[in-house]
Amino acid sequence: MRGLLMALVGATALIALGVTGAQAEGKRAEVLHWWTSGGEAAAVRELANTFNAAGGQWVDTAIAGSGSTARPIGINRIIGGNPPTAMQFNTGTQMNDLAQQGLLRPLDDLAKEQDWKSVLTPAFYNAIQFQGHIYGAPINDHGQNWLFYSKPVFAKAGVTEEPKTWDEMFAALDKIKAAGLIPVAVGGQPWQLQLMFNAILLGEGGKELYAKVWKDLDTDAVKSDKFKHVAEVFAKLRNYQDPGSPNRDWNVATGMLIDGKAGIQFMGDWAKGEFIHANMVADKDFGCILGPGESNFMMGGDIFVFPVLKDKAATDAQTLLATVIMSKEGQLAFNSKKGSVPVRLDVDNSKLDACAQKGLTALKDQSRQILAPDVLTPQDIVQTEQDLVAQYWTTPSMTADQFAEQFAKVIEQAK
Amino acid sequence: MTMPSSVAKVMEGPSGHKPQHLSPARIGLYAFLVIAALFFLLPLYVMIVTSLKSMPEIRQGNIFAFPQVWTGEAWVQAWSTACTGLECGGISVGFWNSVKILIPSMIMSIFISSLTGYALSFWRVKGANVLFAILLLGAFIPYQVFIYPLVLIYRSVGVYSTLPCIIITHTVFGLPVLTLLFRNYYSSLPMELFKAARVDGAGLWQIFFRLMIPMSIPILVVAGILQVTGIWNDFLFGVVFAGRENFPMTVQLNNIVNSTQGEKLYNVNMAATILTALVPLIVYFGSGRWFVRGITAGAVKG
Amino acid sequence: MSTPQTAAGTIAGTVAGTAATRKKRHLSAYVALFPAFIIVLLAYVVTVVWNIWISFTDSKVLPVNIFVGTKQYERLFTTARWLLSLQNVVVFGILFIAGCLILGFLLAVALDQKVRFENTFRTIFLYPFAMSFIVTGLVWQWIMNPTLGLQRVADSIGFTWFRFDWIVQSDLALYVIVLAGIWQSSGLVMAIMLAGLRGVDRELWKATRIDGIPTWRVYLHIVIPILRPTIITASVLLAIAVVRVYELVLATTGGGPGISTEVPGKFIMDYLFGRGNIGLATSASTVMFITVVILVTPWLYYEYFRDKPRGN
Repeated sequence: MRGLLMALVGATALIALGVTGAQAEGKRAEVLHWWTSGGEAAAVRELANTFNAAGGQWVDTAIAGSGSTARPIGINRIIGGNPPTAMQFNTGTQMNDLAQQGLLRPLDDLAKEQDWKSVLTPAFYNAIQFQGHIYGAPINDHGQNWLFYSKPVFAKAGVTEEPKTWDEMFAALDKIKAAGLIPVAVGGQPWQLQLMFNAILLGEGGKELYAKVWKDLDTDAVKSDKFKHVAEVFAKLRNYQDPGSPNRDWNVATGMLIDGKAGIQFMGDWAKGEFIHANMVADKDFGCILGPGESNFMMGGDIFVFPVLKDKAATDAQTLLATVIMSKEGQLAFNSKKGSVPVRLDVDNSKLDACAQKGLTALKDQSRQILAPDVLTPQDIVQTEQDLVAQYWTTPSMTADQFAEQFAKVIEQAK
Repeated sequence: MTMPSSVAKVMEGPSGHKPQHLSPARIGLYAFLVIAALFFLLPLYVMIVTSLKSMPEIRQGNIFAFPQVWTGEAWVQAWSTACTGLECGGISVGFWNSVKILIPSMIMSIFISSLTGYALSFWRVKGANVLFAILLLGAFIPYQVFIYPLVLIYRSVGVYSTLPCIIITHTVFGLPVLTLLFRNYYSSLPMELFKAARVDGAGLWQIFFRLMIPMSIPILVVAGILQVTGIWNDFLFGVVFAGRENFPMTVQLNNIVNSTQGEKLYNVNMAATILTALVPLIVYFGSGRWFVRGITAGAVKG
Repeated sequence: MSTPQTAAGTIAGTVAGTAATRKKRHLSAYVALFPAFIIVLLAYVVTVVWNIWISFTDSKVLPVNIFVGTKQYERLFTTARWLLSLQNVVVFGILFIAGCLILGFLLAVALDQKVRFENTFRTIFLYPFAMSFIVTGLVWQWIMNPTLGLQRVADSIGFTWFRFDWIVQSDLALYVIVLAGIWQSSGLVMAIMLAGLRGVDRELWKATRIDGIPTWRVYLHIVIPILRPTIITASVLLAIAVVRVYELVLATTGGGPGISTEVPGKFIMDYLFGRGNIGLATSASTVMFITVVILVTPWLYYEYFRDKPRGN
């Protein structure tokens, strides 16, 4: 019976979609992206609705599997001469090669006209440029260095204060362990391990060291004692995981916090979607920390790029879409569902949750912001280091010295 | 016209010992088969029970337990309401696209491969060996490295992102293994038949269509099964080459299964996978006996 | 295996026509082979040449024509993950092919004993081959995860000594992939072997029974040698799967723990797409291709191109 109902709902949704499709005879834009899960799709729908209301006609092409599946498909279409009107990229260096070969449309005029420079954080304004031209319209800002913790687990283990330093944190983790619970919910996939490492690098190592490593690719900084200290802190966390961690999906790890089985997890702000699903409220049922150590905010996010098209109508649709993406309405509509924060500084954020508010406080202070590694450094280097971080994690015999040595070698080779 | 002796022999059935009454050996034999069957069925069992549970129950984590509350919702959702971006029609959306890709791709690849295998077996021309050698080596190259150059080639001919484009692609990648099968099969056919036809004045095409095709049923079944499985389950080529209007069912399956952020609905994932696999599974159930016969004749001889 | 050369040779001898008819015959043979020629030339030859060329360039996200010599190869062979991948694929290949052949053969022999429900058993052994590994791999991952799968079940019914946690151990996780691979592919081997067994002459069985030779010796010393071509065909199909192995690893271990179960196919795919270093990816695929050519060519020549007398 419920099944039948679901089918009916599905059918009406389809009909509704068909109708809106037929009505809208606006500027047609095919948009390729990889936002396919429930919350993500809801966010895209908001953006599409805003675009359609502004006289556009959103044609959706969604391909799941993180950017590494969808991005090459889009790039192949651009090379094959059948590009989408607009395409999602992660903020950062991913678009550079396409821009260099003249395959992307520069948005300089539009950016000047709408004064993007004054409404964007400077770091983001720089991140959408390549060789002095603007190629991307940024849509959101994901905080990547969050440390989430379960308040019931902390209470059960007798941890009363939110740990501010790694010494305090390890003391807390020991208490959780003693209480028979899993201290850290680790998802042992390389990207998750690297996220964890970077969070510690930015917190314990500090913003300066982080910038030297990921922005300047400074091998001396990598070989410094401070970097090695960060590596040791990271390695020490091995002792606080459970045996089921290898290749665990991040949301399963979040589930361990939700179920009160594990204490803390390092994850980006998208993890809030899982907590919300489980009817948990930020700062009441679960807590969020930027740190321990220096409390900085690591920014990543998504942009749209616009392939060069000959068709005038399609170019107009691109202009309209870029305008909508950069509008206050578009930013707010999208981000209220996505869990991320708008890239525009002048948007009313008062409705966002307690963790997002913490992030916004950090965002108002320029000295606390820094971009994520994949924004600062070519994918190739970031991901080769990711292999190394994962190898280090699973190889207890590897010392922090050896790790730093190899970390530096990867940078030297890829340069 | 008689069947080749080897094929006829297979039709007779098993050649091992005649069954005796329940001897210890026989009990051991069945025990082995049943244990093996359990090993093979274990993942399918986990998939089916998971697909019939609700998400809170799955989170509790006993993957082997029966559902406490049976629910078919995941199946309904997988088939008709799960979202792919903004379009929420489940995996049924791409079903007909998959059919549209499968049938012409299958016909085209099997036709060209059988023709090639036949020409390689019976008509000796210069360069044929080189062709065959490259084909066999080609079978070992990872698929992914073909993608960029193929996109450039298709672009220059102006077929990129169309239905013909994906059909050609499946033909290209089916060619090595299928040609090998057909060539081996035709080499096992008695030479006398072919000679007689030649003496009667039949040409290459007449012999192919009138003599070879009717005798190729077993190997055609094998080729058909391999292609149904391969083409139906393909995601990468479909999504790169078929064009947006022709996305196969696996694109929706991928979108349901591989979403990176947001909750993973394992029950829907399992249901969607089983549903997507139904077409090849039905083909297997329906043609199990033919499959073995065909393989006997095709893969084994040579 | 018989050869096309001998077949064609026989024809040439018996049906030798005039030069004109021979010419016409050749022409129609070329017409028949034309589609395959075009495909081989454009899709295979051009692709391989393109790959080799790009591997000597500085291509990142997009292919570019900036020659950098052997830089990519130098980097490739100092990359720990690539070296580990090569080692893994060798270990995986040997165990996977051996495992599939042995299990497939045993299953085929068992099914060839006039068992009841043969059709059902056969379908059960074959079905994994029809399913996409994206999700069946996830299920294997669950089954072998110590906190979710078999170990947990054993634990909960009191067998606390039971350990099955290979998947979380760097030095054992590769065997999990072997196991999942055998699960997926041994059904196909079973079908091929069963077909081969059905091709064995019945008179042979009668004769051995009269001579009183034990069954296992008949299989070992008489049947297996007869099945040689069958085993070769199965091995070729399995070897192709080994060289291309990607999805299996991605779905069961994701290459982990750490990078302990990485394989070349995944390395190529990651650098080609996700990591945007086409130069490094094509150098890896070129190394793979050359290795395959070196390993496969002597066998190809021996099996298919050497002139052998007809009648085996």
